[in-house]
Amino acid sequence: MLAHLDRKLFRDLRRMQGQAIAVSLVMACGLAMLIMSRSLIHSLATARAEYYQANHFADVFASLKRAPLSLVDEIRTLPGVAVVEPGVAAQVTLDIPDLDEPATGLIRSLPDLREPQLNRLFLRVGQWLQPGGHGEVLVSEAFAQANHLHPGDPVTMILNGRLQKFRIAGLVLSPEYIFEARPGSALPDNHTYGIFWMPYEELADAFDLKHAFNSLALALAPGANESRVIAALDRLLLKYGGSGAYGRSDQPSHVRVSDEIRVLTILSIGFPLIFLSVAAFMTNAVLSRLLTLQREQIAVLKAFGFENRQIVGHYLKFAFVFVLGGAVLGTLGGIVLGGQMTQMYHMFFRFPDLSFHLDQGAVAISLLVAALAATLGVLGAVRRAAKLPPAEAMRPEPPASYRPAFIERTGIAHFFANTFRMAVRNLERKPAQAGFTIAGLALATGIMVIPNCFHDSVGHILDFQWDTVQRQDVSVGLEEPSSETAKFAFRELPGVVSLEPFRYAAARIYFGPHHRQIAIQGMDPASEHERIIDSRVHVMPLPSEGLVISTKLGEILGAKLGDRLTVEFLEGRRRTVEVSLAGLSEDFSGLAAHMNRHALNRLLGEGDIITGASFCVDATIWKTFLHQLKAVPRVSWVVVKESLRRNFRETTAASINLIQSIYLTFATIVAFGVVYNNARISLAERGRELATLRVIGFSQSEVGAVLITELVILALLAVPLGLAFGTALATGIIHAVNTETVRLPTVFTLHNYAFAVSVVTIASTLSAFVVLRNLKQLDLVKAMKAPE
Amino acid sequence: MLETNSPAHDTTLTAAARTPVYRARGLTKVYGTGTAEVRALAGVDLDLYPGELIVLLGPSGSGKTTLLNQLGGLDLPTDGELKYRDLDLTQADEAQLTRFRRDSVGFIFQFYNLIPSLTARENVALITEIARDPMLPEQALEMVNLGARLDHFPAQLSGGEQQRVAIARAIAKRPEVLLCDEPTGALDVKTGIVVLEAIERANRELGTLTVIITHNAVMADMADRVIHFSDGRVHDYQRNVRRAAASSLKW
Repeated sequence: MLAHLDRKLFRDLRRMQGQAIAVSLVMACGLAMLIMSRSLIHSLATARAEYYQANHFADVFASLKRAPLSLVDEIRTLPGVAVVEPGVAAQVTLDIPDLDEPATGLIRSLPDLREPQLNRLFLRVGQWLQPGGHGEVLVSEAFAQANHLHPGDPVTMILNGRLQKFRIAGLVLSPEYIFEARPGSALPDNHTYGIFWMPYEELADAFDLKHAFNSLALALAPGANESRVIAALDRLLLKYGGSGAYGRSDQPSHVRVSDEIRVLTILSIGFPLIFLSVAAFMTNAVLSRLLTLQREQIAVLKAFGFENRQIVGHYLKFAFVFVLGGAVLGTLGGIVLGGQMTQMYHMFFRFPDLSFHLDQGAVAISLLVAALAATLGVLGAVRRAAKLPPAEAMRPEPPASYRPAFIERTGIAHFFANTFRMAVRNLERKPAQAGFTIAGLALATGIMVIPNCFHDSVGHILDFQWDTVQRQDVSVGLEEPSSETAKFAFRELPGVVSLEPFRYAAARIYFGPHHRQIAIQGMDPASEHERIIDSRVHVMPLPSEGLVISTKLGEILGAKLGDRLTVEFLEGRRRTVEVSLAGLSEDFSGLAAHMNRHALNRLLGEGDIITGASFCVDATIWKTFLHQLKAVPRVSWVVVKESLRRNFRETTAASINLIQSIYLTFATIVAFGVVYNNARISLAERGRELATLRVIGFSQSEVGAVLITELVILALLAVPLGLAFGTALATGIIHAVNTETVRLPTVFTLHNYAFAVSVVTIASTLSAFVVLRNLKQLDLVKAMKAPE
Repeated sequence: MLETNSPAHDTTLTAAARTPVYRARGLTKVYGTGTAEVRALAGVDLDLYPGELIVLLGPSGSGKTTLLNQLGGLDLPTDGELKYRDLDLTQADEAQLTRFRRDSVGFIFQFYNLIPSLTARENVALITEIARDPMLPEQALEMVNLGARLDHFPAQLSGGEQQRVAIARAIAKRPEVLLCDEPTGALDVKTGIVVLEAIERANRELGTLTVIITHNAVMADMADRVIHFSDGRVHDYQRNVRRAAASSLKW
C-alpha cells in the first residue's frame, strides 16, 4: 500500500520538477556555504595543528638586544618552561638580479650541529645546511618561488653592512611563517620580503653576537601559566634589552590563520541561516499549493483508512526529497568552492600540505539543518491538510475573499488600472508569500553588495590611501639610528626630488590595563610625503607635542583624546614617559603612532636622530635610483610603494574575483529560484483566472502583464530593502574581519548598488520569462471547467 | 408568431434571407489518436444569424461544449470550415483570435469565472478598459439589475449575483455574439430564471446573437431556434413559432 503512495510521490515530483529544482538549488547555496566553511575550518585547523606538533612550534616568543648564551640555563629554570631555544635574528637586504628594487627580509640562525628543538623547518626541496659549513642559506619557499630561486642558486645579501654571497642549499617552510609577510603588513609581498636561515656561528659572527642571542622561543610545560611565564621572562630579559615576550595569540602568523578561521566561523553560521530560511519558505509555498490541489486525494486516502500520520509522512517526504537534492548539490558545491578557496589560501598560507578535506560532520549537520528547516516550513500546512475531515476535503476550497488593498484605502483608488488592483490585492491577500519573495529578492540583492563593497574598499585603499596619504615613492630604513647627517648620504642618490627623514622608536604604549608594542614614527611637522588623515578624511596637521595614534589602537587601549598615555621606550636609554593623546588617525593596515620627530627625540633624550627616510624620485631615472640604493650600506629595509600597491592589487584581485563569482552565482540562483517559484505558483493557482482573461479578450502579453505587475511590485519593494540589508551586512562583515593587521574602509558606490540591482533584475526577468512562456500553453478551455 | 415588434425579433423574421454570422460546414474535432480517438464533433453544418437566440440542447458528452469552444475561437477544429463573418476561424492566428474574442464575443461560463480580486464594477470595467465601443460598467450592471451591489467582491455575492455580474461583463463590450455555457448549471431554479431573464434582455435589447448550451430541455422554449445535438452532430433543428418568456419557464 505505502509503496504505491511512494509511486504517487515520484510521479507528483516529476510534474513539479522545476520548482523542486529551484528549492533544492537555493537550499544548496546555504548548504554549500556551510559545508565549504566548516570543511575549510577543519582543513586549516587540522593542517595547522599537525604542522605545529610535527615541527615543535613554540608557545612563547621574545626578542631582545643581546644576552649571553649562559642566560639560557637561567631561563630554563623558570617555572613552567619546558624547552628553550635561543637564536639570532637580523634584518637583511638582498640584491635579487631580476628585481629592480632591493628585497629585504629577516635572517635567522639554526643551531650548528643539531636540529632546533623548537620551530623546526620543513625542507621542501634541496638540502639542509651542512654541519659546520659556510656560505649556505635556506630560503623560505614563498620568497624563492616569487623570485624564481632554486637550490644551488647564488644569492647576495648585505649582512650588517657587508655585502656577502651565499649559495641556496634548500627551500623551506617554517611553522612561524605560515603567513609570511613584512611585520604589520596586511598582505604578503613575497617578491620583496623573505625569511632566511643560516648557521648560528656564521650569523652571530656577522652581527657581533658570538656566544649571545637576540631571539628566543620557549615551549611551556604541560599546565604552565603562559602569562606568568611571560611576566617572569620579561623581568629576566629587561636588562638585556628585551622588547616584550608574547604568546601564540600575539604571534603574527598564528593570528592571521586564526583570523581566517574566525571569519569562516561567522560565514558558516550567518549565510546558511539566511539561505535556509528562504528555502524553507519556498518549500512551504510549493507544498501548500500541492496540498490545495490534492485536497480531494487526501480526503479519499483518509476515507480509505489512511492515518493522519501516514498522510503527514507522505507530504513530508516531498520536503525531504528537496532537502536531499539540496544536500547533494550543496555538498558538491561545497567541495568545488572549498577546493577553489584552498587554492586561494596557497597564496597566503604556507603549509607543508594544505589540502581540502570534506568535513563529513558538516555534511551530516547540513542534512539535519536543512531537514529541520524544511520540516518547520511545511509542518503547519501538512498538519492543516491532515486535520481536514474527509467530507469537507471532498468539496473544493471556498472562493478566495479579497478586499481593497491598503494603498486603495488611502482614497487614491481611481488612479489605478484594474490589472494593477488585481496585483496589489493578490499580494496583500498572501502577505507571507509576498514577504518571503521580497526577502528572497532582497537577500539576492544584498549578497551582491558584499563582494563589490570589498572590491571598492580595496580600490579605495589602492587609490586614496596610497595617493593621498602616502605620497612618497620609496621608504628606506637604516640598521641603526644615525645622526641627521645620514640624510646627506641619501641625498647623493640619483633622481631624488624630495627627501624626508623619519625616526622610528620601538616602544610599549600603556593605558590602564592595556598595552601594545609598536614603533612610534617621528615625522617632520610639515611632512609632504606621509600625511595623517582623520576620520573625516581631512589631512590632520601633526601637533608639536603628543601622540597621534590609529583609531584602532585607541580602541584597543580604550584611550580617548587628551588621555595621558605611558610610553616605555624599548631602545636607547629605555625611558618611560607620559605623553598626551593628541589625535586619532584613520589607516587601513597595522597599528601606527605618529609624533613630531623632534619631540620624539627629546622624549628619548637623544639629539637629532633619524632611522630612515622617505623619497620622491624622478620617474625617468627610477631604475638608476633603485640600483644605487641596493649598494647603500646599512640599509635594513626598503619599501617601494608601487610594488606594494601592485602586489596588493594582484593578491586581492585573485581573492575578490573568486568571492565575487561565488556571490554572483548565489545571488543569481536565489533571484532566479525565488521568482521562478513565485511565478509558477501564481500561474498554477490562477490558471483558471488567467484563462478566463484570455477568453474574454485579453492578449497573451496582457495576461502576462498581470503576473509581471505583481513581480515588479515585489521587486520594487525588495530592492531598497536588499541594498540596505547588503550595506548593513557588508559593514558588519568588514567590522568583524577588521583586525589589528587589516582594516578595510566601508565604501559603498553607486556602481556597486547599480550592479547588484542589475544582477537581480536580469536573473528575475529571465526567470519570469521562462515561466511566462507557459502562458502560450495556457489551456483556454480550462476556463470552462469547474474550479479546483 | 408576431408577439413583439422589437427590432431584434424583427431581424429573426428575415433571418433566412440575410448573411449568417457563423457558417460551419463539415466541422470536425478529433481528440487523441488511435484507440484513444474521440470524435467530439463529427461533421457539423450550421448557420447562425444575427439577433437569434439559440438553445443548443444535448446530453453531456454530446460535443456541445466543444462546438461552443470552436465558435468562441478557443480551440481549432481538426477539419471542416468555420467562418465568423469574413473571418476564417480555422486559419486565424493568435492575434486575430484575441481581437475576435475582445471585440465580438461575450462569454458566460457555468462557474461565472469572475476575477476574485476585483469588485463587481471592476470586473466589468476590466473589459470596458480594452473594448472598442463599450457601455459604462454601471450601465451594464444596471441591465442585469445589480446597480446596488457595484462595490462588492465576488466572495460577497450569491451565485446568481455572480452570474449576473458575469453577464454584465460579457455584454458591456456590446458584442455581436453571446456564448453561454450552461449558465444556470450551478444555480437553483429561482436564481436560474433571474439569470435567464438577464440573458434574454440582453438579446432583445442589444440584438446580440445568443447561443445557450444546456442539457435542460425546458430552456428550449425561450429560443428562436433549438438545435438538438448528439454524438457530435446536429440531430435536429426546431424553430419556435413563439418564444416563451424566461420568467415562465419551470423545471
